[in-house]
Amino acid sequence: MRINLQMRGKFFPQRLFSLGDALVLLVIATAIFGVVSTSNQWRAEFHPATEIDLSAWALPKYTMLSAARGLIAYLISLSFTICVGYIGAKSRLGERLILPALDVLQTIPVLGFLPGLVLGLISLFPNTNMGLELAAILMIVTSQVWNMTFSFYSSVKSIPEEMSEAATMMGLSWYQRLLRLELPFSAVNLAWNSLLSMAGGWFFLTVCEAFTLGDRQFRLPGIGSYMAVAISEGNRTAMALGVAAMTALIIVMDFVIWRPILAWVRRYRIEDVPGAEPIEPLVQMAIRDSRIVRFLKTSFRERRTRKQRKVLDREQARGLGAFQEPLEILSGPKARRLYRSRWWNRIAVFLILTVLGAFLGWGGARLFEILSTLSRGEWTLLLRNTVWTWIRVMLAVVLSTLWAVPVGIWIGTSPRRIRVAQPVIQVLASFPAPMLFPVALFVLFRLGFNFDWASMVLMLLGVQWYVLFNALAGALRIPQELDFALRLMEVPRWERWKTLYLPCVFPSLVTGWVMATGGAWNASIVAEYMVFQGRLYQTGGLGATLTVAAANADFRMLAASLTMMVGVVIAFNRFVWAPIYREAQTRYRMDA
Amino acid sequence: MNPSAARKPLVELRNVSKSFRLESGTDLRVLHSVSLTVDEDEIVAILGPSGSGKSTCLRIMGGLVPPGEGEVFCNQKPLEGVNPGVAMVFQSFALFPWETVYTNIALPLRPLGLTLSEIKARVKKVIDLVGLEGYEEAYPRELSGGMKQRVGVARALVMERPVLFLDEPFSSLDILTADTLRTEMVKIFLDKKTATRSMVLVTHNIEETVSMARRILVMGTNPGHIRREIINDLPYPRDESSAGFRRMVQQVYASITEALMPDVPAPTETSTALARALPKEPPIETLPNVQIVEMIGLLEAVGDHGGKADIFELAHETGKEFGRTLYLVKAAELLDLVETPKQTVLLTDLGRHFVEGDINIRKRMLHELFGSLRIVQMASNLLRKSETLRIPIEELKERVGEWLPAENPEQIIEALVSWGRFAEYFGYNDDAKELYLDVGQETT
Repeated sequence: MRINLQMRGKFFPQRLFSLGDALVLLVIATAIFGVVSTSNQWRAEFHPATEIDLSAWALPKYTMLSAARGLIAYLISLSFTICVGYIGAKSRLGERLILPALDVLQTIPVLGFLPGLVLGLISLFPNTNMGLELAAILMIVTSQVWNMTFSFYSSVKSIPEEMSEAATMMGLSWYQRLLRLELPFSAVNLAWNSLLSMAGGWFFLTVCEAFTLGDRQFRLPGIGSYMAVAISEGNRTAMALGVAAMTALIIVMDFVIWRPILAWVRRYRIEDVPGAEPIEPLVQMAIRDSRIVRFLKTSFRERRTRKQRKVLDREQARGLGAFQEPLEILSGPKARRLYRSRWWNRIAVFLILTVLGAFLGWGGARLFEILSTLSRGEWTLLLRNTVWTWIRVMLAVVLSTLWAVPVGIWIGTSPRRIRVAQPVIQVLASFPAPMLFPVALFVLFRLGFNFDWASMVLMLLGVQWYVLFNALAGALRIPQELDFALRLMEVPRWERWKTLYLPCVFPSLVTGWVMATGGAWNASIVAEYMVFQGRLYQTGGLGATLTVAAANADFRMLAASLTMMVGVVIAFNRFVWAPIYREAQTRYRMDA
Repeated sequence: MNPSAARKPLVELRNVSKSFRLESGTDLRVLHSVSLTVDEDEIVAILGPSGSGKSTCLRIMGGLVPPGEGEVFCNQKPLEGVNPGVAMVFQSFALFPWETVYTNIALPLRPLGLTLSEIKARVKKVIDLVGLEGYEEAYPRELSGGMKQRVGVARALVMERPVLFLDEPFSSLDILTADTLRTEMVKIFLDKKTATRSMVLVTHNIEETVSMARRILVMGTNPGHIRREIINDLPYPRDESSAGFRRMVQQVYASITEALMPDVPAPTETSTALARALPKEPPIETLPNVQIVEMIGLLEAVGDHGGKADIFELAHETGKEFGRTLYLVKAAELLDLVETPKQTVLLTDLGRHFVEGDINIRKRMLHELFGSLRIVQMASNLLRKSETLRIPIEELKERVGEWLPAENPEQIIEALVSWGRFAEYFGYNDDAKELYLDVGQETT
């Protein structure tokens, strides 16, 4: 990855080949093999619903195909992240368009992308499996990419001013700057987000590989389909095998990919850079911030300490033209001079905004048209379902909080416990909860719960980690002196929790809540509608409505329920979480 | 008069002004009509307290920040974009932590399209020059502050630019290291083994400017402007213990004092709190944004000197930046606790009483004196007029902006709140963002 091989000359490292290199080569070999076998799949003749072989012998192949899909999706996500995050950080116009777009996109559950991707791509590649494979991969992308993009964007935005000025004074070109400053600076953040993104990608694997659209069944060979079939048939052996294979995949990936990468990016840690915030690994696990949290964070920080810098940025942007950077990418030095004149800039901006505005206007009009065909009864049903899902989401978050906060604080206050817990949690959290749903259902039905309640518990299984991570991260920030002081004063345990631990954890807990609610709404599509042991379980809720609409290819209902979900999540973020977050950040800051 | 006046300036600012927009929407002028030149073969120092816009000045000359008004020239040509004749050394070093010393220094050579051997030769030359041999493979985090800044200097020198900008390059180093590096920088300048013809030093350290610079530009605040140019013709290398050096330091001290605390003709010679209460609209004071506790510390230091102390000695003794000391003196003067004939700080009778008093006496006096400031009276009138005896801080900020259009209202408000709290005059609730009159029982 070092780009300056030529520069190192005599400073070559002594050891040419290490265990790490061997691992890297192994990963590359596996990846190549995976890509090759996947591409064989792609060239295969179009057969939308592969028969899934539930025998143990078929599992390695399925696991590998899914792993390849996940990795290809990740590479796509990474490319998207770097391009879009970069433009967002560099161009004022880009920032204004990209941030709100991501805000909406990340609230759309994978089923929202499903029909468009599948129908579009299949019609592009009618004779091979390419279209279907691409659709599955892109659906995985949609559950990986957004937080990575935010991470990269905000890393680039938080580069200390003097470092950025130094790069400018050196006359680095935009790509030298990207390779030498912006990517290295973001590396640690990006790596941890990648790890979490991968986990996010696995979450909906069962949906991405096996789904119904209208009267057509789609199934791709993979562990997601394997589990989906095993669950719907109620084949316990196959379910257990599937869970084992998925666990193996996650552990192998953890050891072979993520640990080496996380160790490797340690060289890019920035603790000793003045003006850059240090990063603790465990805190990193909690940084899968939703957009609103990131937005609040940056705007809050900037408002407090970077007032002047912000103004400065703005002035520079105004002086140089908001769109200069991307245009420079597209043009040689001659064209650059041309573009630098404000006149051109304005026209470019105007054209882009016009096209975009027209597109959005058209889209909005179409959406309105579709929505207006819904009858009053359908709207009432939709509203009722939304309320039900909302109740489940809230309950899931409350219950997660009740167990995860004490546990998080308990772990986070002891370095020994952290050391033991971190790798375990890392794997547990990466495991896609929907694959555990059948086990949970067994237990819950045995305990006498009906599916209405069970689906809430399923949701909880999916989102509890957000709360746990953030409680843990918050617990790490509990100032030891204060803890000692309280212990010396012999303040009883509960009082200590009340006066110190909980207030300390609160700010990051709010982050956890934001993420958990967003995640729970998304998870409702798999938690409220399930085919299990040959029987269909369904409960009144927005997630079920969405799933049914997608399965029936009922685009009216799909559009309506998607609009509802996106609207509710965004409104909740804006009007409930944002004020709480701000309050948490001012009142419970620990730096005072 | 100026021996280099006939020479061609390498960098030049003509009537440059710059404003930043505050959050409240008002423009804060940080530079006002600044003109300066950097000639060949000289070290120019820009000296001023924080907030005088000296760093902004440097960034405008370097092309990092566009000027609001006025023109920037590089080699007599209008400057567009980054200044191609300039290399810069930063206060925080601004090294890339993931690059080694060698690759950090070689970094600015990448855009130039040199061959490997050319790069090697140039990097080796500067590494020898700044004494980093043996550290080529080290990462910045393994180095001490002094060594880090050597890398910063080497990285600037390797660019072989005629002008070297030094932005408070020694202020994050300890005194001894800073001294050594300072001497080395002067040596680099005198030896002429590098491409560097001139240096521009931005600093708030007076000794530093006197030991390095041939010309010292003293900047004043609100808005930042050049108060004075002092020619320092002491021969290099300069001996800090020589009489000439001390004299020059005194001279610079005197002019920065004057820049920050101009002896404005007071309404009466005996300006006391009483006189302030007389009719005939006295001016509205601007509150220096300092902590009262710090000011009390300064008063005690003056008391220890028998009620009369030299302001330079005070700065030296308290180990505070000179500009900061001046603000503290200014605050004490505003409250009539001291007088400042020339560069002496003299306790007034009130001041003597204050220093001798215990905490209760002091608080009571502060309450009194603070309350007699015009800006405080105007604020309390505002408070009394509101029904709840409380006003949102934003509203006050707006009013202060009207009363003192040339000042940064946020800093004044900050001072008003922190002084007011200490003097038990105002209370402030950060949750409600409201200021209220402290009448003893009002605790929420």
